[in-house]
Amino acid sequence: MHTIRHFTMCAALIAAVVAAVAATHPGPAQAAEPAEGQLIDVLTSDAPRAEKAITCKRLAVWGTKDAVPALAALLPDEELTSWARIALEVIPGPEADAALREAMGKTQGRVLIGVINSIGVRRDAGAVDALAGRLQDADAGVASAAAVALGHIGNAAATRILKQSLPDAPPAVRSAVAEGCILCAEKLLAEDKAQEAAALYDLVRKTDLPKQRIVEATRGAILARRSAGVPLLIEQLRSDDRSLLQIGLSTARELPGNEVAEALVAELKQAPPDRAALILLAMADRGDRAALPAVMEAAKDGTPRARIAAIGVLERLGDVSCVPTLLEIATGADEDVAEAARGTLANLPGRQVDADLAARLPEAEGATRRLLIELVGQRRIDATDALLSAADDPDAEIRAAALLALGETVGADNLAVLITRVAGPEKPEDARPARQALRAACIRMPDREACAARLVAAMPEAPLSAQCTMLEILGAMGGSKALEAIGAAAKDASPELQDTASRLLGEWMDVDASPVLLDLAKTAPEEKYKIRAVRGYIRLVRQFTVPDQQRAEMCRAVLAVAERDAEKKLVLEVMQRYPSLDMLRLAVDLAKAADAAGAPAAKAEAAAVSLAIAQKIGGRSGDVQKLLAQVGHDPVKVEIIKAEYGAGTKFKDVTETLQRHASDFPLIVLPSANYNSSFGGDPVPNTVKQLKVQYRINGKAGEASFPENATILLPVPK
Amino acid sequence: MSKRMASLDRRRFLKTALGVGAAVMAPQVIPGTALGRGGMAAASERIVLGGIGIGNRGTYDLGCFLPEPDVQFVAVCDVKAARRAAVKKMADQKYGNQNCDTYRDFRELLDRPDIDAVLIATGPNWHATAAIYTARAGKDMYCEKPCTKNISQSLLLAETMRRTGRVFQAGTQRRNLPHFAFACELARTGRLGKLKAVHAHPAGMSTSSSGWAAPEPEPPKEEVDWDLYLGPAAWRPFNRALLDGFNFEKGGGMVGGGVLEWGSHCVDLCQWAAGADNTAPVEYNPPQDGRVVARYANGVELVIRNDGWLPLGSCPVRFEGDQGWVEAGDSGKMVLSSPALLAGRKVAEIGGYPATFHVRDFLDCVKTRQKPRAHADAACYSHIACHAANIAVFLDRQVNYDPVKNEFIDDEQANRLRSEALRAPWRL
Repeated sequence: MHTIRHFTMCAALIAAVVAAVAATHPGPAQAAEPAEGQLIDVLTSDAPRAEKAITCKRLAVWGTKDAVPALAALLPDEELTSWARIALEVIPGPEADAALREAMGKTQGRVLIGVINSIGVRRDAGAVDALAGRLQDADAGVASAAAVALGHIGNAAATRILKQSLPDAPPAVRSAVAEGCILCAEKLLAEDKAQEAAALYDLVRKTDLPKQRIVEATRGAILARRSAGVPLLIEQLRSDDRSLLQIGLSTARELPGNEVAEALVAELKQAPPDRAALILLAMADRGDRAALPAVMEAAKDGTPRARIAAIGVLERLGDVSCVPTLLEIATGADEDVAEAARGTLANLPGRQVDADLAARLPEAEGATRRLLIELVGQRRIDATDALLSAADDPDAEIRAAALLALGETVGADNLAVLITRVAGPEKPEDARPARQALRAACIRMPDREACAARLVAAMPEAPLSAQCTMLEILGAMGGSKALEAIGAAAKDASPELQDTASRLLGEWMDVDASPVLLDLAKTAPEEKYKIRAVRGYIRLVRQFTVPDQQRAEMCRAVLAVAERDAEKKLVLEVMQRYPSLDMLRLAVDLAKAADAAGAPAAKAEAAAVSLAIAQKIGGRSGDVQKLLAQVGHDPVKVEIIKAEYGAGTKFKDVTETLQRHASDFPLIVLPSANYNSSFGGDPVPNTVKQLKVQYRINGKAGEASFPENATILLPVPK
Repeated sequence: MSKRMASLDRRRFLKTALGVGAAVMAPQVIPGTALGRGGMAAASERIVLGGIGIGNRGTYDLGCFLPEPDVQFVAVCDVKAARRAAVKKMADQKYGNQNCDTYRDFRELLDRPDIDAVLIATGPNWHATAAIYTARAGKDMYCEKPCTKNISQSLLLAETMRRTGRVFQAGTQRRNLPHFAFACELARTGRLGKLKAVHAHPAGMSTSSSGWAAPEPEPPKEEVDWDLYLGPAAWRPFNRALLDGFNFEKGGGMVGGGVLEWGSHCVDLCQWAAGADNTAPVEYNPPQDGRVVARYANGVELVIRNDGWLPLGSCPVRFEGDQGWVEAGDSGKMVLSSPALLAGRKVAEIGGYPATFHVRDFLDCVKTRQKPRAHADAACYSHIACHAANIAVFLDRQVNYDPVKNEFIDDEQANRLRSEALRAPWRL
């Protein structure tokens, strides 16, 4: 009982604090002042440990120096120490520092490690001497924590102590001391004490340590020296040690300066091919254009892997001067290398590159001609005349490449070339690339309505398969003209067109399709297409953003044409998903219509939907209650006898709250859908709770329980 | 990322989408002996991989790693015996042997010098801590999302990766899906005009806390190591209900998960689209009409909202400029304000948000030491944006963040929520 009462008090208090902060946005001191004393009381009372734990987290936000003694008292407690540190680590001021320092003398093992870690996070310079003493602790975990904490503090004293400790630190602690030294070196570097930082990094590098510490110190030693660090960088790039090579490669990307770029170029020339490929990638990431000649050489000659890497780098560093070489490689015998070159040619930046490629096309022959055509398409270079000429080439592969390139480049003026080849290709093998090209061209046309009009105009003369292709393209384009054409095709005499068009309408990505679908739902030539249209319409209602009133009207409209229960059920789901007063009116109308038609099950279903909507939009308004009354939810006399909210053995009495919100309907709408908010706090945190209600409706007794946050609809006792 | 880099990656997508295996694309980036220890290894040497915390999501991720021909999975660590056994069975079946080793304590796995990289798929409580220990042990890592529990962890994660030189890939695999990448590129390269707003779906904004559940008898350590499972989270008694799902305040102590669930994906994409991989919004407002609106220093709005999305599947994002917009989701589809935005490009439609490409990106970068798409700095700031939004939700008021100093401006409460003490002996 004490627990419930005590918790209730705390929860209410905490809620009040949160509310105060939310309402007035005061500074933290004002926000915490009235509540802190009671939060501290929780810590010093015999409240359950769970409550103390959560209270520590609250104090982490709102606690002040006044909370420090109560929090500090929890530090030696193995179960609560981590919770207390959550608060002590962030409460500002010397009091928290002092409490943690004091705890160093009262704790041991893991608890002590935690205390030291918090001192490190707070960077408490006053703890340096105490931490230095702990470096000799017999517990390697404690000594290691002290070393890292000193590193975080990183002042001159801490740095000196760590430097002195490093050579002779026990093996189990030495890595942590090195970690502390590296943290100190970073601080020195940030303070523009690069020379001191480099010396400290060097000290670590020369100590017997796990490889990763050496790696970290090596990186630091290079960066601290800037351009003077280049020799050390190159040493790593030549290293036979994988870890050092890796840190060399990543540091090469970090270290700024032209000297670095020059050194990398020089290194490239003498590095083994596979190593050179890695260096090339690092140079590309640096964006050093000075490396271009060396990269070009590497692209021309070497192992395939190194050449591929160099060609990839050209994509970022190259320019028009690379085109001849790349074209030669791209049509060469090594397919992997050639493919890399083709990719780079497709993406090599610059209008000069476009102009160069276009100029080469008319005179090119064989594989180079085909490659240039493909590149024109991929780069979307304006070379229509050359492509139109190539589209009539005797070679089918050249024709196909030209058609595809036209698809990527052709303007509206020349769209007819592609339409003609789709509608009636002279050569059968041209049909497929022509279809792909037309689709690509139509989708990217800025004026899609004009483009759609051209397609629609061409359809009557085209064979059926081409008409279906054009419908698919229209569907991919979207727009009003396309919608109109597809709507008409859905009612065409041809089953193939009906099928294609109705499917496309069902996938339409705009609510503009709704009238077309509704019309089709009424007038489609076949029943299966009517159902498809109804479902397509419901998809629009369910998935697209429309105003509440329009959505309700759409639901009403589709219910008028839906004949099967399955589709009607889908609409009812939509109505609950988008509750509004308009939806409630519709639900009530449905219930009344079902009643008039003598369909009790349908009436019950619609009435349930009405209540669900009412619950979501808030059932207290006069409009809502009047509407509910129309579907049999007549006013009743509701008496709440007893109501409890909680879990397990912890329940709080919420009778008064429920009584206050009870109305003339079995539906009780609380101020918030969240029970915790409505009932003034969470009686059992982090547990799913129940609401138990004893009540009378029109004098008849009933009992019900509701899962947390469920709609409170009291069953009417029989 | 430049257009050229994007195109390089598109080629990778196309190759993989066409079923051309990684072995074919690998030569583009794998330089032979550079892989080797002592400079002597053959070009075919594999990346030796271990796994930490391999449950449902981890098993999916591992399923993306195992088929890669340059991966050798050798060890699994999990605090739950049943999961250790299940993953060992999966690996041993793949290789036709009994060689996959099992560990209860991840530090033993990290002590193995033969392991190059680690898949971290624990609960979010462990992600940042395990990642930092992994980096300190000299190993690269693919780490599931959300990667951090608070702002401080986000910064320390990025700082540690820089210091240690390790390759880090956050498990935000949508960065390596072509339609999302293309949508981000449209926004970042100005093809939507001047960027006005980026929109992210958070999958809810409610916060949660695992609290301190009723104690239950603790199972033997070999079955479930509760102490290791709690890890850096504050102590609480064993309760079996906490063993599954995401627990221990994945979003940062009292603030809870909030917008992090999908935000670590969707806000992350927004950050990429806004060219903000090394910064974060400066202003965060409390929810209004179901939306949290944040604002970058250049005025671009980050709108975090649950509703009003086109039907494009889960984790949708939308980017709006003054000359166009694009919206994309997990269906693999995107909707453009104008087809002209495609500019002739073909963007592969890959639905179902597979991690295959993301894993390949990570493996390539392990070899080349390039930064993967979801590198630590990008993950750092996208998580900071989510944490700061959660803090605005929690405090129910506007908070202002300085992404250079990485502190809230004149706001002690918000600043206190940037970090949370770790239970000993764990430290970042």
